[in-house]
Amino acid sequence: MVEPGEAIQQLASTPPMPPGTWRWRPSGAATVALLIGATVTVILALTVLKLYDSNESRLLRLRGRELSSVLSAAVPSIQTPLASAAELADATGGSPQKFRAFMAPYVGPGRQFASASLWPLGSAHPAPTTVAGATPVLASLPEQARQLFAAAKHGTQLNITGILGSAKPSLGYEYATPGSTHGFAAYAETALPTDRRSRIASSSAFSDLNYVLYLGSSHSPKDLLLTSLRDFPVKGRQASDVVPFGDSKFTLVVTPRGTLSGSFFRSLPWIVALVGALITLAAALMTGRLARRRAQAEQLARDRDRVASENRAMYTEQRSIAETLQHALLPETLPDLKGVEISALYVPAASALEVGGDWYDIVAAGEDRALMMIGDVSGHGLRAATTMASLRHAALAYAVQDHSPATVLAKLSDFVNSTAHNYFATMLCVLVDVQARRLTVASAGHLAPLLLDGENGHFVPFDVGVPIGVPRNSPYREASVPVAPRSTLIAFTDGLVERRGEALDAGLSRLHDIATSQQLSLEEMVKKLAEGLASHDHHDDTAILGIRWRS
Amino acid sequence: MAELEGDRVAEIEIETHIDPAGTCIVTLAGELDTSNVASLEATMASITQQSPPRLIFDLGDLRFMDSAGIAVLLNAASTSSSVQLRDPSPIVQRVLEVTGLTGVLPTES
Repeated sequence: MVEPGEAIQQLASTPPMPPGTWRWRPSGAATVALLIGATVTVILALTVLKLYDSNESRLLRLRGRELSSVLSAAVPSIQTPLASAAELADATGGSPQKFRAFMAPYVGPGRQFASASLWPLGSAHPAPTTVAGATPVLASLPEQARQLFAAAKHGTQLNITGILGSAKPSLGYEYATPGSTHGFAAYAETALPTDRRSRIASSSAFSDLNYVLYLGSSHSPKDLLLTSLRDFPVKGRQASDVVPFGDSKFTLVVTPRGTLSGSFFRSLPWIVALVGALITLAAALMTGRLARRRAQAEQLARDRDRVASENRAMYTEQRSIAETLQHALLPETLPDLKGVEISALYVPAASALEVGGDWYDIVAAGEDRALMMIGDVSGHGLRAATTMASLRHAALAYAVQDHSPATVLAKLSDFVNSTAHNYFATMLCVLVDVQARRLTVASAGHLAPLLLDGENGHFVPFDVGVPIGVPRNSPYREASVPVAPRSTLIAFTDGLVERRGEALDAGLSRLHDIATSQQLSLEEMVKKLAEGLASHDHHDDTAILGIRWRS
Repeated sequence: MAELEGDRVAEIEIETHIDPAGTCIVTLAGELDTSNVASLEATMASITQQSPPRLIFDLGDLRFMDSAGIAVLLNAASTSSSVQLRDPSPIVQRVLEVTGLTGVLPTES
């Protein structure tokens, strides 16, 4: 069996790890928390990334459409001067002076057109009659010019032609007054950079975009008009839009130069991932810690339960040893005596784990007589018990030699006082003469026994002597008491009647009342008297010895 | 497990005083029984070492005493030449009577 102290030391020797030597040992719960946290974080980050991506694409489409509308808005600024010039030429018969004067503000370096010219309609070999600014590149391309002006005859709108393969790449615009078959067409050209590169100014509303502009619905490099990009084809995120322009159309491809949603939104997936990772790690650490704490608490509870159950077992064992020893010191059987019934009971103290010092004995003295002895050694424990054992055996020896109660007490007193000692004992000695119905009583400081005659009871009066072990100046005196038929004598130790805070007489009258209240067998009466103790935390052991005349 | 914690301990106050004549007066107040008799035993052990010529137990405020308390008084009587009790209550006086000790532990006149 483990000592309680040892068990407590075991408890104390397994404290939680001191701070500073903390090490990460993931528990099952922590691993689960880590996995759940990581999964949630990845899902969140991917969701945010996807949201960012779709938002970027949507923004790019919107920006592309905005740029398209700007391009569409340029058509009137080209068509209006050309339409006016065509009408003017029709009205003036193609006056070169009037045409040049009208177009002068539009033509020249840094202006809208590089060249403007008047072309008479209906000719199989069209050629300009009047030119403002540079010579039109179209003049050197008769086939393309014939096609353009043939179409323009029926045109009601701005006609576009691209001169892109030329050494001087240009975009040409033609307008003729509707219904005019012998009039003039006004034609203008805008020169394109030879490398087609044109940057968007950083102050522009579209500085966040790169673009590629093609003539027609083609994405072919040969139809490229302008671009802000160095490399082809366009890679990555892009949006494409077809913009009607005169009788032709432009294809506009835009791609973002950075992020359209702002740098915060671009970083958001990473921020989410980082914060998620940190929270996951913290949660895993916390979970691990809680799991460990819980394990420790459960271990402590188990240890505590174990110690408690061991204590219980030890207590029960000790108490059992004490009671076994006590009963070993008391007589196993009481003598059979003709004409009387005898009953005895020993009750250990409710609280004490120790043996007590109470004892009793009955010694037959011939056929009709018996010597009853009951005593109480001061103190508790093994010492009181061994003292009691030696007193009991000495008393038995004296009782065998001489049946006089006073002599037995006197011899016992002299025996104890012959050596140094630091205890004393009270003792009652009664010679019971069954046939003569007479008691001879002597007491060494012991309480008087109760004598019951039916419903009447009284404590046997006698001159009490000093307890055994106390220096004695006078002899023990005997009292002789007659007994009525069917009487009962109850001898007891002070544990039966002493209650803290109560006069001794109160305990004695309680005993008297219980004993006279009911007609009980002797054994039942002794038990009933002892039961009165069970309701109290009696701190002293108690012995009860009863004898009843059968007739 | 109330049994392990034992009885309620009775309350006792112990005061010792030595007068100019060398008489040691031990004043007991409260209740004296098995549960607290050890504290009086300890006090008496230090007093008897000094072997006072006269020992008086003042029991005026002692409401209860059992056989364990009597044992301490008897031990004191066996080591001192003169032991007297002062003002014992009727309850205490009765215990002395039934144990035949009124002569061994006389009350101060």
